[in-house]
Amino acid sequence: MSAEPARPGLPLRAQGISAGYGGDPVIRDITVAVAPGEVVSMVGPNGSGKSTLLKSLVGLVQVARGTVRVGEADLTNRSPEEIARAGVGYVPQVDDVFSSLSVRENLEMGGYLLRRHEVTGRIERVLAIFPRLSSMLGRSAGKLSGGERKMLAMGRVLMLSPGVFLLDEPTANLAPKVAGALLSEHVRQLAVDGAAVLVVEQRARAVLAISDRTYVLGGGQVRMTGTPAELAASPGFVESFLGGGHAAAPSGEV
Amino acid sequence: MSLFVASIGFGLVTASVLAIAAVGFTLQFGVTDVLNLAYGAIMIFGAFLAYAVNQAGVSVWAGLLVAVAGCALVSVLLNVGVYTPFQRRGSSPITLVIVSLGITLIIEFGVQAVAGGTSVSYTMGSGPTLRAGGLNLTGVQIIIIALSVLVMGGVHGLLRYTKLGKAMRATAANQSLARNCGIRTGRVITVTWALTGALCGLAGVVFAIDSGSFDATATDLFLVLILAAVFLGGPGQAYGAMLGALVIGLATEVSAAFIPADYKYVIAFVVLLVMLGVRPAGLIGAQA
Amino acid sequence: MSSYYVLNLVIYATVDAMACLGLSQQFGVAGVTNFGFIIFQAAGGYAAAILAMPGQSANGGFQSYIGGWNLPFPLPWIGAMVAGGLLALPFTFLVGRRLRGDFAAVGLLVTAVLLNLLVTNYRPLLNGDAGLSLIPAPLRPQGFSTTSPAYQWVFAAGSALLLVAVFWLVSRITQSPYGRSLRAMRDNDLVADSLGKNLLSLRTGMLVTGGAIAGLSGGILVSYITTWSPAAWGYAETVVLFAAVIIGGAGNHLGAVLGAILVPVGFEEITRFIPSSNNLPPNLVPSLEWVAIGLLIVVFLWFRPQGILPERKRVIAAPVTGTPTAEDGKPTACSRAAPAEVAAAGGGQRPVVLAAQDVVREFGGVRAVDGVSFQVRKGTLTGLIGPNGAGKSTLLAMLAGTLPVTAGTVSYEGRDVTGLPAFRRARLGLVRTFQLASEFRRLTVMENLLSAVPRNRGDSFRGALLGPRYWRADEAAAIQRAEELLARFGLDGAANEYAGDLSGGQRRLVEIMRALMAEPAVLLLDEPMAGVHPRLARRLGAELVALCAEGMTILMVEHELAIMDEFADPVVVMAEGTVLAEGTMAQLRGRSEVVEAYLVG
Repeated sequence: MSAEPARPGLPLRAQGISAGYGGDPVIRDITVAVAPGEVVSMVGPNGSGKSTLLKSLVGLVQVARGTVRVGEADLTNRSPEEIARAGVGYVPQVDDVFSSLSVRENLEMGGYLLRRHEVTGRIERVLAIFPRLSSMLGRSAGKLSGGERKMLAMGRVLMLSPGVFLLDEPTANLAPKVAGALLSEHVRQLAVDGAAVLVVEQRARAVLAISDRTYVLGGGQVRMTGTPAELAASPGFVESFLGGGHAAAPSGEV
Repeated sequence: MSLFVASIGFGLVTASVLAIAAVGFTLQFGVTDVLNLAYGAIMIFGAFLAYAVNQAGVSVWAGLLVAVAGCALVSVLLNVGVYTPFQRRGSSPITLVIVSLGITLIIEFGVQAVAGGTSVSYTMGSGPTLRAGGLNLTGVQIIIIALSVLVMGGVHGLLRYTKLGKAMRATAANQSLARNCGIRTGRVITVTWALTGALCGLAGVVFAIDSGSFDATATDLFLVLILAAVFLGGPGQAYGAMLGALVIGLATEVSAAFIPADYKYVIAFVVLLVMLGVRPAGLIGAQA
Repeated sequence: MSSYYVLNLVIYATVDAMACLGLSQQFGVAGVTNFGFIIFQAAGGYAAAILAMPGQSANGGFQSYIGGWNLPFPLPWIGAMVAGGLLALPFTFLVGRRLRGDFAAVGLLVTAVLLNLLVTNYRPLLNGDAGLSLIPAPLRPQGFSTTSPAYQWVFAAGSALLLVAVFWLVSRITQSPYGRSLRAMRDNDLVADSLGKNLLSLRTGMLVTGGAIAGLSGGILVSYITTWSPAAWGYAETVVLFAAVIIGGAGNHLGAVLGAILVPVGFEEITRFIPSSNNLPPNLVPSLEWVAIGLLIVVFLWFRPQGILPERKRVIAAPVTGTPTAEDGKPTACSRAAPAEVAAAGGGQRPVVLAAQDVVREFGGVRAVDGVSFQVRKGTLTGLIGPNGAGKSTLLAMLAGTLPVTAGTVSYEGRDVTGLPAFRRARLGLVRTFQLASEFRRLTVMENLLSAVPRNRGDSFRGALLGPRYWRADEAAAIQRAEELLARFGLDGAANEYAGDLSGGQRRLVEIMRALMAEPAVLLLDEPMAGVHPRLARRLGAELVALCAEGMTILMVEHELAIMDEFADPVVVMAEGTVLAEGTMAQLRGRSEVVEAYLVG
């Protein structure tokens, strides 16, 4: 699908991260690693800290303890714009596009750091990956459907060919079929093209299908980790979603 | 009839001054979410800077450059030194409006303390008068209209075609996302205030030129016209402000041909109140 | 210093203090930012003038104005109050709507300038720019010479007396349960609305009250200086009054008086002490005074936003009757259902108290809730679960009325309430809590609880005026209930702390207790356990179940599925905006589509 070789992927290493919004930390001592070409997913019940971890990786939440390394660079607690310039692309869960701007302008904003002559070429590349967007370049981003909007959000990030991709619940509010297609066709492809991809998701089954490795979060900490096959076979996996988060697993319950 | 056409001419001049001012005001709001009510005070500060230069024997057009630079500086200091700290602290929008009123007092009466309370005017010729098809405009008024058109073109070019303009629009649309695109929004905001501050200074000087004589409180009423233009077009929308300026400028002057001139500003007030009550996002802005 | 000078000062001070009290009541207590405040004083001044003045032609014919009915004292002053109060009514459109606070304030500011412009230019109305003069002083026909010291003394005494009366009025209002509702509205109007406060009515009441007080101050001033022109009430005068209230202390009535003495009066008097010099330009000192006021506003808002005399904390002493133990048997948050009724329903089907029928919520092209129909039965603790984005909170908001439905109906106790605003539903017994912190920060914990009480005779304007003797009994009963509730939930030690100072979990509890104080028949809880310690969460769950045994109905949105296990029955699962299944947690866990929904999301 890609016309030219992407920017080489960068390894992401978050070590012992504790972070919060002032007051008690929401996540404690989390260690996550993603290698270029890998899709690593992070799942877990609500309130387990998945979004908070992503935000701490992109400078939106203060990291109280621990380090964030991308490639050789230490990006702990740097500003979001510096982290973006270091090659980290972030697709937030909400407010993921510039609603008042057109689709084309969104892509242009995504390519803000590019040199002028590179922009058109990159836009063509992104449109080749998301052909649906070509027919709506002039449309206001706020008027797109859920799936189209997410594609635009990812396309915006793709403009910079980041070495690391962070996606926060990309399939939220999407119909199951659209969600499945987004994950299997597009998210997987990012890794195939060489980036290190970290996906936070609610839809555990769907994202497991495209992951190389998965972390299961609960109560602000990593509860389990492994390949999808290992996790699917483990009895504790389903429980961690339906058994009650950080409270002790009910004894003798289903 | 000729009165009507002549009033359209005056309307265009008012609209021109208003457009320069309103675009600056609305861009400040768009990028920082603050209703900078001190804008009028900074305008008159610029007018008096140009006056000081003018009194030293220099042409008022050179004084205009001084005003532009001075107001740009003051505006940046205002945002960095006052508005941003209050916002960082989580102050409510009401608190910020009250703060801006306090700043208005400081600047406006600071100018009055230095320059005195009497009205002054620039020493300048008004140039040849153009009389064509009922229009009745002096050379200076035509220059003002031309300046305004130039500025509007410049703003359009800036926003549409330059990197900075893109960054400004992205920052105004979604600051967090703009940062994720690698845009240094802190710098963008400071530059925006410098540019809009320059517009403010320019607006102040042309306002003073168009008014003939002015004193330190002359922009109090004009600020309401600016607000009317801004809210008509939608707060934060540069093109909306241009449209609003045209409508308000023409409406006030044309109405003066039919109703007693003292009431011409009433139209602007009514427009503003109606917009606030019915559609605060403006004609162009998206529904909240 | 002559006595004339002192009396002059006193009269100006009382007029300014009165105006500041009106503004403090509006802005400091009720959170209504009225940047057009000065026009209410102006209205009072003009009203007093045209009521007291003789007809136009009888007055020399060189002023043109409406009115001129030559009415004797005290009618002009009464008219001034009425004019100020009536003028408030058209402004409710700017303040009642959900318009952004700073936009509404600008609208009011602009209105003040507009009216000044109209009066200045339309001469037949109130003599335009020149203003009115030769306004008769009160009691002149009775043979008092207005320049005699005796007259000055009487005038000053009368003015001071009226100030005391106004002070008494605003204090009475603020100290009452009605005043507490005003302060709650100031701190968080959305939550106050959901607890049954009629925001439009409260704000209108404050605009009218403040307007009447401002009008009276205008009437007194006009009668003293016998002239009144637009120059006296530009928007700069409103800024001065706001500066006075902010510096003195918004929300503290003594602070308002202090602010009036320091700012309008203080600045006026300072000029007498600055030596005049021919070297200085004549307007330098007045200009610098304005600069100083502007500076003070900014400095105070930064360093001391609460003002010199901050709003006093209202400490409520424990009632004299013995403090109940935490294990008090009788539940105190009584619901409106008779327990016997519910017990009798026992094994059979319990009646439906709350139902949603084909409810849809669409916004910006997204269907957060897509045709939900379900019923909540009396006396149950129903859980509402589902993955993120399932629409649970949106549904809850539509049931409570804080969000409008796009389509479908909501019925409560058999009655269609789809069009009913949130505060009316709350008064009928349908009460909700919020997900994010929503305590009234500048009220104490006890005041937070008391603010939700639905039937307190002091919680109306009339009740406030009738005074403590009228509402004392209701208040004591409410305090008793609140104390018992606090003890039951273990927070009785924090009763007199500001709610904003508590920890996250404690604030959660305050919110739930406050909702219980509203005597709900149906309680809608939005993630009540979020951020709460597991042990406390269990206790909370047990309390909720106990309440349901007494007849209350609870619908609870939660993510802590262990809580659902233990306490909720039935549990409704939502996913992607629709209802997926219903049953006990154990049953739901066994159903594959539920499991899939959680894993598939």
